[in-house]
Amino acid sequence: MNYPIWQLDFAGGGLLIAAIAVFHVYISHFAIGGGLFLVLTEMKGYREESPAILDYVKRHARFFMLLTLVLGGMTGVAIWFTIGLLTPTATSTLIHNFVFGWAIEWLFFAGEIVALFVYYNTFGRISRRDHLRVGWLYFLFAWLSLFVINGIIGFMLTPGDWLTTHNFWDGFYNPSFWPALALRTCLALMLAGLFGFVTATTIKDPDLREKMVRYCALWLLAPFYFFLASAYWYQQVLPQSLFDFIFHRAPELAPYIKTFLIVSPILFSGGLLLAIRLPAKIQKTMAAAMLILGIIYMGSFEFIREGGRKPYIIYNHTYSNSIAKSDVAQVRADGVLRSARWIENRTLTDDNRLAAGREVYNTLCLSCHSIGGPMNDILPRLAKLTPFSLNAKLQGMGRADTYMPPFAGDNQDRQALTAFLLEGLRDKTGTPTPASSTLAADATAPYPFDIEKSEYVLLAWADYGLHEISDADHLFGLLPSANRLNAQLIRRGELPELIGQGVKLSFKGATDSHLPVGTLSKHREDILYTAVLPELSPYPQAGGYQPYPVLTVEARDEESGELLAAVKTVMPVASELGCKNCHGGDWRVDGTTGLSDATGRDILAAHDRLSRTDLLARADNGQPVACSQCHSDPRADAPGDLARLNLSAAIHGFHGPFVDDMEGAAACHLCHATDPNGASQSFRGIHHEIGLDCTNCHGNISDHAISLLLAEEEAGKPEAARLIKELVADNSENNEKIHPRQPWLNEPDCLTCHEDFAPPATESAFNQWTTTRGELYRNRTDNSGMIRCAACHNGPHAIYPTNNPLAADRDNLIPRQYQNTPYPVGADKNCRVCHTIDMEDEMHHPNSLRMMRNRR
Amino acid sequence: MDPAALIPTPDTIPVAWGWFQFLLMLTFVLHLLLMNAMLGGAIIALTTHLVKPEGSPVICRQMAHKLTYLIAFAVNFGVAPLLFLQVLYGQFFYTSTILMARHWLTIIALLILAYYSAYIYHLKYKALGAGRVRVLWLVVTPLLVIGFLFSNNMTLMLNPEAWQQYFSQANGTLLNLNEPTLLPRYLHFVVASVAIGGLFIALLNHFSRHENNAGAERRIATGLNWFCGATLVQLGAGTMFFLSLPAHIRQLFLGGETLPTTLLLLGVITALAAIVLGFRRKIWATVTATITVVTLMALVRDLVRRAYLAPYFKPADLVVAPQTQYGLLALFFVLLVITIGIVIYLLRLAATATEEAQS
Repeated sequence: MNYPIWQLDFAGGGLLIAAIAVFHVYISHFAIGGGLFLVLTEMKGYREESPAILDYVKRHARFFMLLTLVLGGMTGVAIWFTIGLLTPTATSTLIHNFVFGWAIEWLFFAGEIVALFVYYNTFGRISRRDHLRVGWLYFLFAWLSLFVINGIIGFMLTPGDWLTTHNFWDGFYNPSFWPALALRTCLALMLAGLFGFVTATTIKDPDLREKMVRYCALWLLAPFYFFLASAYWYQQVLPQSLFDFIFHRAPELAPYIKTFLIVSPILFSGGLLLAIRLPAKIQKTMAAAMLILGIIYMGSFEFIREGGRKPYIIYNHTYSNSIAKSDVAQVRADGVLRSARWIENRTLTDDNRLAAGREVYNTLCLSCHSIGGPMNDILPRLAKLTPFSLNAKLQGMGRADTYMPPFAGDNQDRQALTAFLLEGLRDKTGTPTPASSTLAADATAPYPFDIEKSEYVLLAWADYGLHEISDADHLFGLLPSANRLNAQLIRRGELPELIGQGVKLSFKGATDSHLPVGTLSKHREDILYTAVLPELSPYPQAGGYQPYPVLTVEARDEESGELLAAVKTVMPVASELGCKNCHGGDWRVDGTTGLSDATGRDILAAHDRLSRTDLLARADNGQPVACSQCHSDPRADAPGDLARLNLSAAIHGFHGPFVDDMEGAAACHLCHATDPNGASQSFRGIHHEIGLDCTNCHGNISDHAISLLLAEEEAGKPEAARLIKELVADNSENNEKIHPRQPWLNEPDCLTCHEDFAPPATESAFNQWTTTRGELYRNRTDNSGMIRCAACHNGPHAIYPTNNPLAADRDNLIPRQYQNTPYPVGADKNCRVCHTIDMEDEMHHPNSLRMMRNRR
Repeated sequence: MDPAALIPTPDTIPVAWGWFQFLLMLTFVLHLLLMNAMLGGAIIALTTHLVKPEGSPVICRQMAHKLTYLIAFAVNFGVAPLLFLQVLYGQFFYTSTILMARHWLTIIALLILAYYSAYIYHLKYKALGAGRVRVLWLVVTPLLVIGFLFSNNMTLMLNPEAWQQYFSQANGTLLNLNEPTLLPRYLHFVVASVAIGGLFIALLNHFSRHENNAGAERRIATGLNWFCGATLVQLGAGTMFFLSLPAHIRQLFLGGETLPTTLLLLGVITALAAIVLGFRRKIWATVTATITVVTLMALVRDLVRRAYLAPYFKPADLVVAPQTQYGLLALFFVLLVITIGIVIYLLRLAATATEEAQS
């Protein structure tokens, strides 16, 4: 925001610093341990009165000097140059806060050079004691350099109290100072052995060679234990959040941790192997291989440390893109294009969109993302993005996606960046999601009903009026596919009778033979017949998409088989899960619905990356995993892993921050089959018709997610607290006022709005949850305790009168059959449907003897 | 666009700016002396080779030995002033550096090339034979380019108006070639390097004159001749540089303000005195005069910088952070004294070293 940005493309994303730092760190640690190596080996030479060893020391000293002074020293300057170029703001912070640290380090560096020159040039030319003393002074200066730099580097990862005090010493002796110093000292000693191999394996005398190679092996192996112990210590001093991030969450760090763990034993065994007498040629090759392994080892450690502080460059203080944490809100309010110093296009026009977007990219993204280069290349990351999903990505940055800083731009910046990324870089304009239903309704008409003569009334409905299935089960099991068909049979009369025996209820597809066929069984407590339909599918044999298949339900006399009553009812099943909106890929079927393999694979890849799982590999091996295996799901009766979030909390909690900038139910429609322009339009009952949406009962995405997460937080799951922090309650004044809820158990209660079954006084049922299974709408009965609410009103989300997107009355077949209206059964004082006479008592529930309010 | 709007906001500083100014001047003068001796010495060695393609002039052999040290210390003593420069002028320095980022980073590669070439020149001096010239070119050329890049950066940081080129060239490849003072300034520094390189050679032989008296005296003379000759050229080059400065800045040194005028006048007089002393072979007096000139000119240079930046900024504008670090400043000085003590101890040890290996 303050400085111009070196517009790197290929070499962006920190390639330069990584390339230089890996060498510098390797050589500079050698410069420390190697110093001690020289002195101690020289002492060994004196002790053993071995001119050959002394000769070796002298030779090694020259190698040491040429490597450390030139390459080591100059790459050190190079790092300084490079950070000044790539992250001037952070560099300036480090320089201005630690100028005396740097200045002192410079003194030690000067002393180091003098001591090394004197040491190298006075071999055998001053007394042994003096020469050793020079060597010791060199080592002292070198180690003190490490001491100082270690304080400043550690500060960047664990600034500790400095964040509040801004005191030099608080930053310098930061929480990771001592373990890091121990770790780096051990590493320096090990590297002395590793580099010792390089010269020791070239000794011509085989006996001496063996002796010195073993001696070097000792240098490598002896500190190993202390090295690992200090690594553990290092790990332990990290703040909990940092520890979790590095070792459990940050996806990009996993490979480095793995490398570190794999290389450790290899390096150790390599040292052991070199201690065995081997031909010089093999030893030389091994020494070179060990050197390369060493740099990989060291590199992986430094990458873990550097990556560990992501998305910061100074942890909790300055983000990787040089924006101070405390400035984000202000920058977002002012806008990058409008307020950053080095911007040419202050306002967005049609002509400058790409150029302005490039400027936003430079300011906010380039420090971590190269364009076409090896470091975090942005191009493959764009492949699946649409303008919408890019926006969601930006919205979730720094929140659900904590590896990245929050997006600090305003709307203008977003537009510009979107144009640059999707049109400028990818050369492709985003196409809006195609949204339309292609299926016409198959012809269905209600069965006849004779109000005078018919003996029975059969009522049937689905447990889930909005029933979603995932059709990528070969990749992962997201949702149980079963919906439940319920039916109640009433023998008509002045005092109607609910029939619970002597009858047999069956169902079959009304028009399409792909639908399941079967019988309903008697509910164990209530006078109710049910059947679970696990194999329900929205895909007719003839092709296309049918989210509202119609079943015929028949009731027959158990003995005679005589048909007593028959009805047609919709068994909803929708596969329109909008995962593709962000995860890329297309719809699976007809360009309108279904979770495609591309989408599903991206979901698994993302899960594997973020949660360090191997779900994609398992799916590829033909062993797809059900989400509920880990994430408990009451709907699927799956206990899951109790340490993890339940499925609803996990999904809404994680995805919420990506879409919480969307108005009202728009965020819901992204994923659920409720999109008013979608193929299913599953929210289709009277509540939809009068203009309510998902949020009236469930809250907006933030409130909804918070309510689910709160219960998990109460259950002691820290992940819930972390996710809640990223969400901002909307409908309720603050997070505390939201009531925790268990999915599928604590649901919106109809009586919150319809107090005492009266016309609603409020339009919000959010935050008042049912407490028991019996209170759930789908399980609830009328005041007589006999008739299920849904028997007359239909399944949730499809409350009569329903307006089905395929044909207005498709869901209203039952009320149409019995009273030729789309209204709830018995509405408009239609008591005669069951009672054969008009009634005067509101026996089922108060306010039931009324004319329908919302008439068509 | 108003160039002032491009100048980044500076950070706070931990002690009063005067301390950094003092440290900057102190370490910069040391860096200049070392850097000049390095570059000038290498140029003289190369010229000597070119003039006498046959044989192995002692001066070259001496420089072969010393160049690696000079590079090491020139770089080391470059770190400190660059550090203090960033403290006082970071908002200008980082900016100009980023504008020429690509060139700026190549400095490292050039430095490594020059450094290793210097080591080859040193360690393989005998074996190289006629190849010495080629290797020495590999020392001198990169060093000259580095100097040129530094001149670019040091002038670009003073010129926010030139920064606007960034908007048409953001890939870090800008140079400050339109700057009228660039070439005269660069020439001024290279010529000064040759002078100090000569003085360094004279001094080197002054220390070793007991070994080969006649030869050493001759080489002292040669070194001083280089010094005097280059400084005479400098009278022209320096004037050119001075004349290339913007009139209003030049005016400050021509009576416009007392301090600049006095410093420049003293500098020029001392430089003239150094030439006279050099011709008279008064080596220590020449060295003293030269260090004085370099110090005065470093101060003049600083005043020029301030004059350039006057419309935008002066170091006194920097805000001292509420958490001051005077204790650390004191610690730095204590460690400075200790380090100097140890360095003296080490150098004295080295001075007692015998030519041949002891048993």
